[in-house]
Amino acid sequence: MNRNVILTIFSIILLFVFLYYASHHFSKYTIIILNNIAITMILAVSYNLINGITGQFSLAPNGFAAVGAYTAALLSLTPAQKQAMFIIDPIMPILGSIHLPFLPALIVAGLVTAFFGFILGFPVFRTRGDYLAIVTLGFGIVIDIVANNAITITNGPLGLKGISNYTNVWWSYGWLVFTIFVVMSIINSSYGRAMKAIRDDEDAAIAMGINTFKMKMIAFIVGAFFQGVAGGLLAHLITTISPTLFTFFLTFNLLVIIVMGGLGSITGTVISTIVIVWGSELLRVFDQPMHIFNFTTPGIPGLRMIIFSLLLIFTMLFAREGIMGKKEFSWEWLFSVIKGGKKNGK
Amino acid sequence: MENNILSCEHVSMKFGGLVALNDISLNVVKSSITGLIGPNGAGKTTMFNVVTCNLKPTMGKVIFEGKDITGYKPYKIVPIGMARTFQNIRLFENLTVLENIMIGFANKVKYKLFEPILKTPRFLKQEKETKNKAYELLEKINLKEKAHLKATGLSYGEQRKVEIARALATSPKLLLLDEPAAGMNPNEKIALMYFIKEIKDSFNLTVFLIEHDMKFVMGICQKIYVLDYGAKIAEGTPEEIQKNPKVISAYLGEANVKS
Repeated sequence: MNRNVILTIFSIILLFVFLYYASHHFSKYTIIILNNIAITMILAVSYNLINGITGQFSLAPNGFAAVGAYTAALLSLTPAQKQAMFIIDPIMPILGSIHLPFLPALIVAGLVTAFFGFILGFPVFRTRGDYLAIVTLGFGIVIDIVANNAITITNGPLGLKGISNYTNVWWSYGWLVFTIFVVMSIINSSYGRAMKAIRDDEDAAIAMGINTFKMKMIAFIVGAFFQGVAGGLLAHLITTISPTLFTFFLTFNLLVIIVMGGLGSITGTVISTIVIVWGSELLRVFDQPMHIFNFTTPGIPGLRMIIFSLLLIFTMLFAREGIMGKKEFSWEWLFSVIKGGKKNGK
Repeated sequence: MENNILSCEHVSMKFGGLVALNDISLNVVKSSITGLIGPNGAGKTTMFNVVTCNLKPTMGKVIFEGKDITGYKPYKIVPIGMARTFQNIRLFENLTVLENIMIGFANKVKYKLFEPILKTPRFLKQEKETKNKAYELLEKINLKEKAHLKATGLSYGEQRKVEIARALATSPKLLLLDEPAAGMNPNEKIALMYFIKEIKDSFNLTVFLIEHDMKFVMGICQKIYVLDYGAKIAEGTPEEIQKNPKVISAYLGEANVKS
């Protein structure tokens, strides 16, 4: 038990040493991808809590990320900036005068998103079935329309510009470690077991005295909080947000990540986020003209997506339940592999 | 009346025009094994769902230990001391046997959501206790060495045992078994019969079960209720039920009664 804690802390330190090295030696482009990986991972890990662990099919992350991004951005922009930016209609007076530092802005963004999660979840989880998917899909669309039309709050299709570039590897990876820690702690407790029970058989879970409504709400709201925070981090990474950034495509991407990693496996989500975010950058070569021997292929934008789909199909063929299935990484497993390897070596 | 742990008073259940249960009254005496039998479609499972609060009866009351529990939320009957199993075994498939049993202890866990995150002493202590208790329970049913197998990796009879053990983990006073012997061969049935009697004594339980298999019911129950087409047609000891002409005609048809 103790050994595992030490090893975990050691590997987190190792991660941050790597990040220190990266932030001083890697190119700006690589740093942005590293940040992107962390933010996508926060979104995916918290998304897996409701979809994979609790087994409730939600399509909310794009809406939640949008709420978080707008909240955090509106809070961290200075009143003068906001005054200058809202050219169609002036900003709502209360919002115009608020100004918060980065961390409080992120936390408030998370809380506001969690509140939206509460409002969505409260009626939906009183019923059973696929209503959650329909309601959350609708939520994403409503948020998109609101963002486009509530001009005094969101500045409409112009979006918010000039958001300070606060997000660096320390912020994004700090939040990532915190997210994974919180989600794993919940999973490895009575709460997590109850959530898994609901996923496997809701009737049996009820017969065990589990308050399924409460458990689903917890999973959904905790997920919403971290998705809001991730939205805030994203806003402060790319410094410009507009409604087009949070379309259903974002949710779709996350869905691909958690299904490919294994629904219900946080380890799988971590691996597949790296594979998919980094991979889709690596595959950019295919979009450019290529020289193979004497041929020069024309650059076809979107070719990488075809290769990507092929990879996904192969995962589906050879790893039906995703890369990790429902298994999690553990130090015991690692040691048994190392020992097994040595035995085979002899 | 004092001795009844569960009593149903004039319970009727209608689905639209269909009368699934018609004015049924029954009592389950404390620390007895009581059976509910009847041909297919007699309304046994509906009765069970009414008792476990999965269905709210159109008329009538369900009383558990003197308390009217009609219309309770189904998960709320567990803390007051009722636990059930299902006709088709419903274990949590992706979890290990141990985790399945640990879920049975879920309603005894007192720590709040933030405690696992902060790793408070109360959380660590209760988690350890739950694990130990689950191992103890598995030891009692002789499945300790299979604790870390997936629930679906066990044989049918073992799965049934795990399901009953999971219900026992909630420390019930009344155990409701929905066709426990379904799909078992004669030897497994006999083993199950002893198993139920054994846990009834060692856990100080009252057992109320639905069963199809006459031999099984006759061998284990002290009192039997017979349903047919939603109505109670007989009640009594196994001997009385066996001789009751109404029961015979319900099971075998009118012609057999006269001969």
